[in-house]
Amino acid sequence: MSNIIQDIKLRDWEEEYININPLQTGGRTYPETRKAIISYIDGYSTCDWCKGALGITDKPPIREFLDEVSKFLGMDYTMLTNGCREAKFAVLHALTNPGDSVVIDGNKHYTTYVAAERARVRIYEVPSNGYPEYRIKPEDYVTVIENVKKETRLLPKLVFLTHVDGNYGNLVDAEKVAEICKEYNVPFLLNTAYSSGRMPVNGKKIGADFIACSGHKSWAAGGGNIGLLSVSEQWKDKAIEYSKKYKVKPIEIIGCSSRGSSTLALMASFPHVKERVKYWDKEVENSRWLMKELEAIGINQLGVKPTEHDLNFVESEKLFKISETHKKKHFYLYYELKDRGIVGIKAGLTKNFKFSTYGKTKEQIKHISWAFKDIVEKFAK
Amino acid sequence: MTEETENLFKAIFELEEIRELLRQTAPNHKFTDEQKKKLRSSIEIVRESLKKLEELL
Repeated sequence: MSNIIQDIKLRDWEEEYININPLQTGGRTYPETRKAIISYIDGYSTCDWCKGALGITDKPPIREFLDEVSKFLGMDYTMLTNGCREAKFAVLHALTNPGDSVVIDGNKHYTTYVAAERARVRIYEVPSNGYPEYRIKPEDYVTVIENVKKETRLLPKLVFLTHVDGNYGNLVDAEKVAEICKEYNVPFLLNTAYSSGRMPVNGKKIGADFIACSGHKSWAAGGGNIGLLSVSEQWKDKAIEYSKKYKVKPIEIIGCSSRGSSTLALMASFPHVKERVKYWDKEVENSRWLMKELEAIGINQLGVKPTEHDLNFVESEKLFKISETHKKKHFYLYYELKDRGIVGIKAGLTKNFKFSTYGKTKEQIKHISWAFKDIVEKFAK
Repeated sequence: MTEETENLFKAIFELEEIRELLRQTAPNHKFTDEQKKKLRSSIEIVRESLKKLEELL
């Protein structure tokens, strides 16, 4: 059985291989998640007992879940969005007017930039320090905010920080950025697509006004798109505005966002997520162990060292050189890893690529290390 | 909920538990004694549920 129907292939990446695609490791589902998805797979399944809006639904207990998420994130109010990008855009749309300015970090996800473009605002970037660390320094936010002031005679309307970026896995000191934003009295949105759901994140402790989360990237919610926007009390009324005609419908999510199984998937994964963030140190330990093993064979980590995250970006002249003689050329690494039970590195990459060890057992981490060593031993000259 | 629907979901859900075992042990699927015990128990639950469904025939 290799096809589900016609040309839709059965996907067996999680059952047959160790999947190290950074986009996918934190969104991998638990059995309870998949049971919820199976049961709620049909359209508008959250709406059997609709009370007018998704966020106030009690059967299933979505309202209670969102209250629990607020506590978990140290925030005051949470709503479901169709993804992290939609959460970011919701805040941009609520707080800015075309022509206003916003500050973002140089390691931002492209969706932060595109969401800002969609909101027609002027974008100012806090650059990283470049190769090889790509570090975002919180104090550089002062320089950029001052630059906005100088150029526009106004403060930015919103400041973004990517807590952990999706390229290098660099973890930025969000508390310091929040402090700077407080000094300037500018609202601060923390993009936690690669942090909340994987590691402990507390908005109150950090001083965030908004937290945007990705359910399918880091909260084990699986394939359906889902996100969360958590808001502090101070910004609740501004960001969570309701329709004047349809009183229970929040306008920034056009009334109701994720109206089906992805909401239930997120809810069913939540007990696991609450538990797993307690073991974040173990994840970092596993990641550091593997990086040490790989660096010993010429696969070197970029980004801030030692790594503080399960996502790592590497460069390797040694792996690149193999592609010059291997019969599969630059696709060799993908196929050699697959032959050894590992998938998730983009096909065609050998010199620079990223991967994630999130949620892997120690045996699986050791297996990844063995696979790279075996390839290097077999093909490097 | 009727017995047939309950048994249908019971079987599917227990298969998901087996699927999890495969995921946790990929790519070699070498099970520990505890995982083998869980697999045996899950298979038994699926069998029982399917037996109940066969009563519809």
